[in-house]
Formats: sequence, C-alpha cells, structure tokens
Amino acid sequence: MNTFARRWEPDRRGRRAAATGALAAQRGRTSADEARGSYYGVPVIHRAHWHWLIILYFFLGGITGACYVIASIAHLVGPSEDRRLVRAGRYLSFVALVPSPALLILDLGRPGRFYKMLRVVKLRSPMSVGTWGLTVFGGFSALSALVQAAEDGILGRGLRARAVGRWPSKIIGIAGMPWGLFVAGYTGVLLGATAVPLWAKNALLLGPLFLASAFSTAASAIGLALSAAQGTEPATLERLERLERLTIGAELGLLAASRARLSATAAPVTTGTPGALLRYGTVGSGLLVPLGLHAVARLTSEKTGRRLGMLSSVLVLVGGFLLRYVTVVGGHASADDPRATFDYARQEQSGTPA
Amino acid sequence: MSVASEPQESPSGSTGARPGAVGFLTDVSLCIGCKACEVACKQWNQLPADGSVAGSGLTGFSYDNTGDLGATTWRHVAFVEQAPAPTGDLLAGLLGSAPTQMAWLMLSDVCKHCVNAPCLDACPTGAIIRTRFDTVVIQDDVCNGCGYCVPACPFGVPQLGEGDRGAHKCTLCYDRLVDGMEPACAKACPTDSIQFGPISELMPRAVERVTELQNRGVEQAHIYGDRAWGGTGGINGLNAFFVLTAPPETYNLPASPQRPSDQVLPAFLTTAAAALGLGLAAVAALRGR
Ligand code: SF4
Ligand code: SF4
Repeated sequence: MNTFARRWEPDRRGRRAAATGALAAQRGRTSADEARGSYYGVPVIHRAHWHWLIILYFFLGGITGACYVIASIAHLVGPSEDRRLVRAGRYLSFVALVPSPALLILDLGRPGRFYKMLRVVKLRSPMSVGTWGLTVFGGFSALSALVQAAEDGILGRGLRARAVGRWPSKIIGIAGMPWGLFVAGYTGVLLGATAVPLWAKNALLLGPLFLASAFSTAASAIGLALSAAQGTEPATLERLERLERLTIGAELGLLAASRARLSATAAPVTTGTPGALLRYGTVGSGLLVPLGLHAVARLTSEKTGRRLGMLSSVLVLVGGFLLRYVTVVGGHASADDPRATFDYARQEQSGTPA
Repeated sequence: MSVASEPQESPSGSTGARPGAVGFLTDVSLCIGCKACEVACKQWNQLPADGSVAGSGLTGFSYDNTGDLGATTWRHVAFVEQAPAPTGDLLAGLLGSAPTQMAWLMLSDVCKHCVNAPCLDACPTGAIIRTRFDTVVIQDDVCNGCGYCVPACPFGVPQLGEGDRGAHKCTLCYDRLVDGMEPACAKACPTDSIQFGPISELMPRAVERVTELQNRGVEQAHIYGDRAWGGTGGINGLNAFFVLTAPPETYNLPASPQRPSDQVLPAFLTTAAAALGLGLAAVAALRGR
C-alpha cells in the first residue's frame, strides 16, 4: 500500500539521482524550488501501464502485418522461384499473429472482459479500430496460411485439403494487404493519440516509423528463415536484402525526422539507458551495421555472405524490438516529467514547434 | 522552465458546454485547504484512504495528503507555498518593509468533465459515457481495464485501481445528481470554493468573480477551463472549471492541452502515405528481373 501511496516518490528520487546535464542542476533543490516551475515535480499526467506484453505485441504485430504484405507482393510481382519467400512470409505472419491476441488480453486489467472491445466501433479511438483491424487481419493471415498449408500438402492429400489448396490465394492476399499494413502501423498512431509528450508531439511520424520498422524486421525474419533452410536461390535472398536496405533507409530517415521534430522533448530517448539502447542498439547495430554487413557480404564467398546476411537479419530484429522498448519506456519517463507536459501544452497552443 | 505569467486573453468565459450541462466552479481564492471535499468524496463514494505514510497522512509536500488524483482520490487539494520573491533590497529586508509572508495557494482539483473528453474518445469499450448532465462517467461493469484512458487524459485524472484493475475517476456524483442532490464535495465545502450548478449560471459568476479579483489587485486571476485557458484546442471547454490566481502550471494544470484524438486522422493519413511508399519499395525490390 505504501508504494501506491507515494507513487511519485521513486520518480522524484530518480530524477534527482540522475546527475546528467541539466538534471544535475536540480540536485540540492528544496521542495520550495521544486514547487516553482511545477507542483513539487509531481507528474501532470498519468503514465500508461504498458510494459513487456505490449512491447512484445508492438514487435510481433509489425512482423505479422508486414510479413503478410511482403508475401502478398512477392506473390504478385515476384518471379516463380520466389514461391519459397511467399510461403515463408505467410507462415511467419501466422506464427507472429497467434500470440498477439493473447498478449493483448493478458495486458488488460480485467482479461475476462476482453470481448467488451467488440461491442463498439469508435473511429476516434485507435485502440478500438486497432482491435477490429487485428480481428479482420487475423482472419486473412490464418486463411492465407491455411491455403498455403494445403498447397504444401501439410493438410494431407484428402479431397477437402486439395479444394482448400485451390482457393485463390492471390486474391486473398490482395484483400488482406491493407489490413496487414494497418496492423503493422496503427500501434504508432495509438501511442500518438495520447497526452504523453514524447508520443503526442511525434504523432504524425510514429505510425510511419513503426511501419518502416515492421517492414525491415519482417524482411529480416523471412530472410533468416530462408537462409536457415537450405536450397534458397541466392537471387531470392538478394531481392529480400534489397527490400531490407530500402526499409532501413526509410527507418533512418524517419528516426532523424522524429529527432528533429521532438527536439528537447526527446530527452527520455536520447539520454540514459533508453538513449544508449536507441543509439547503439537500434540505430547502430540494428540499422547501420546491417547496411555495412550487406556491403561486405558482396565481397565475400556465397557461404560467408549468407552467414553475414543472417547476422544482419538478427541485428535488425533485435534493433526493431529495442525501438519498441525504448519508445514505450521513454514515453513513461516523458509522462512523468511535468515540464515536458507543460512545454508540450504551451507549444501546441502557440503553434510553434520548438 | 518558462511559465508565462499573464493570461493570454481577458476571460471570455465561453465554452462549448451543451445546453443543460452542469459542472463545478472551483474558486481557489476561497479555498482554505480544509479538505472537507476530499473526505466527503471518499465517504460518499466509499473510497479507501491513501497517502497515509507512517501514520502521518501527509506526503511531505506542504499539507498535501494525496499528491495527485488517482483511482481512489477523486478530489485532491493541492497546497502551493509561495515564498515572496527576494527583492535584493537589503535595507528593506532589515527594516522589515519587504514582504516576508508566504503566499498560500490551495486548489481542490477534480476531473474536468471535458466538453470533448479525451478519455471518452480513447475508451475502446464504450465504458466511458457522456451522461444527460453532460458529465463524463466510467461504467465500471463495462470497463475491461485496458488503461488507454489513463495516458489519454491531458489532466492525469483516471487511473487503474490497484485491486480491481478497472479505471476510476470522479463521476460528478452521478448517483446523487439523478436524485436531485448536489455532489458531495460541493455540499461539504464550507466556503463555497466548490460550487455546483448549471454551466450557464456558473460561468457568468466566474467572470464576475475574476473581474472583482482583478479590481482588487489580483492581476493574475483568470478562468481556467474556458476557451482561453485549459479548455482550448479540440477540448472546447471544461464543465468543471476553475478560477485561478496564478498560472495554471503552479497548480499542476497544463496551460492549453490538446485533444489527443484530433491527431488520429492526420496520423492515420501519414501512416497510409508511408504504407504506400513502403509497399512501392517492396514492389521495386521484389520484382522479378
Ligand atoms: S479531465 Fe480527463 S478524465 Fe476528466 S473528462 Fe477530461 S479527459 Fe476525461
Ligand atoms: S480502462 Fe476502462 S474506461 Fe479506460 S479506456 Fe479502457 S475500457 Fe475504457
């Protein structure tokens, strides 16, 4: 009960203890000083309760959606030897999809009432449209995986399995693609539509950022699966890596744009542990190093190249996960900072991006 | 931390409150910090005590008991102690002619029952509703504890309960309103710092009060919750509004919060544009040669 009673105390102490930069100047301040710019440093807004379950969902949701989109596009425009890519994309999409509803339900304060989400559709609530989008997309992902399994003979050779195998998977893929894109990107919009300065100020770029990261992690996941399985055409892997490079480029651009848009509000994700994780984990080893590895891989033998490709895929996946982690954890720190909230509320009013 | 000290506009007192809306006028200049409202709220709504640290019942911030609003605190009395600004005039200090007394600012904070409520926008279950009194209420039997209303509220009002994991906040005593009674806090307030009534009556009263305070020399007196302060942006006014005598930040109130859900459509549009771009990138990358 005591931790509840003094729920702001760890934050105040934490902020005092963080002896970096401008924060150092706050040490030794009295509570009268603290009260000057804010109310004793008490957070103005309440932070979200989201943690590992949601971070993992943000990561998997990106992969399930983008894997589906990549598979569908490869099926439409890719050469026939890329059927392995299509197959891997569909299966991976389904594999990443399966835990997603469970993660979301377990995160609820009252998991037994998850179905209450399905009693209304509210276009102003990204969580509402997100739930519906995930539900519809789940159907497409499962259906495409089912057709793929039937084509592959996994469902046996019975009449029914063969009938399923003849379903128009291309058309299903086209119809499911918008939903896959939605699932991969809406989580960024969901964070942006809050009062948390770090998220709200960057609302326009969070969706695109999460989407770009979804593409790069999904391409890496498919690449990893294909490289691990023997017998994938090098040309197929080369096409995937091209996609990886394009999406990594987009992600880097969006990260830079977010940094510029946020300016001082970005402090929670540029300093401390989250800052280090974002700088070295996501940008460094998760984006720049993979780009370098792709360049190096061209100069080596095919076998080494493939190993380097797998390594870069793993790095991209870890970096994508860290991006979600840092965004969520940074949002909590941002919500706890009354000055960030005040500045955001003042700036938005005067309309001047600081 | 730059806190502008001047209200941007003279208090117009205009909000988007719907006809028949009721609400609170909380006037800080009348608050004596007795916390009768906190106690009355907890009693009527059967909320447990909190903030009881080692039996002292105080937070360590002045005489504040609870620190902020939360799942079990729907009225929170903030205590701001303002030391007089040092004049730097040594002689005046020695002669005792410089102001030495602390200024006391007290404010009973509460859910603002926003005209366009961000929590209501965010709630994916429809648990949060607008009542016929134009107040905002969480239906506990519908709420599934998703917690999205918590970061959506720009005033930090709703919170998930420790025990039942549902979101809770002030109901503006909905159960009393339907029986024609005023909310418990307004009933208990001995100085009428908390006044309950139709917005159409309360707002002119607030304008009058601000004018009076300003004429008496309280230059910073202003309304918080009209379209000049607090209830700006898409929020369009607060049905529980305040007469403040210092900048909103002093009381931990954001100056001009925005309605977060106004960002939903633009953000989906930029995401859709990104989806188009990334989809084309995928076509370009995966195309057979
Ligand atoms: S103050 Fe917060 S909880 Fe109250 S109505 Fe407004 S958004 Fe909802
Ligand atoms: S926690 Fe409850 S009241 Fe809040 S948004 Fe979720 S379902 Fe609605």
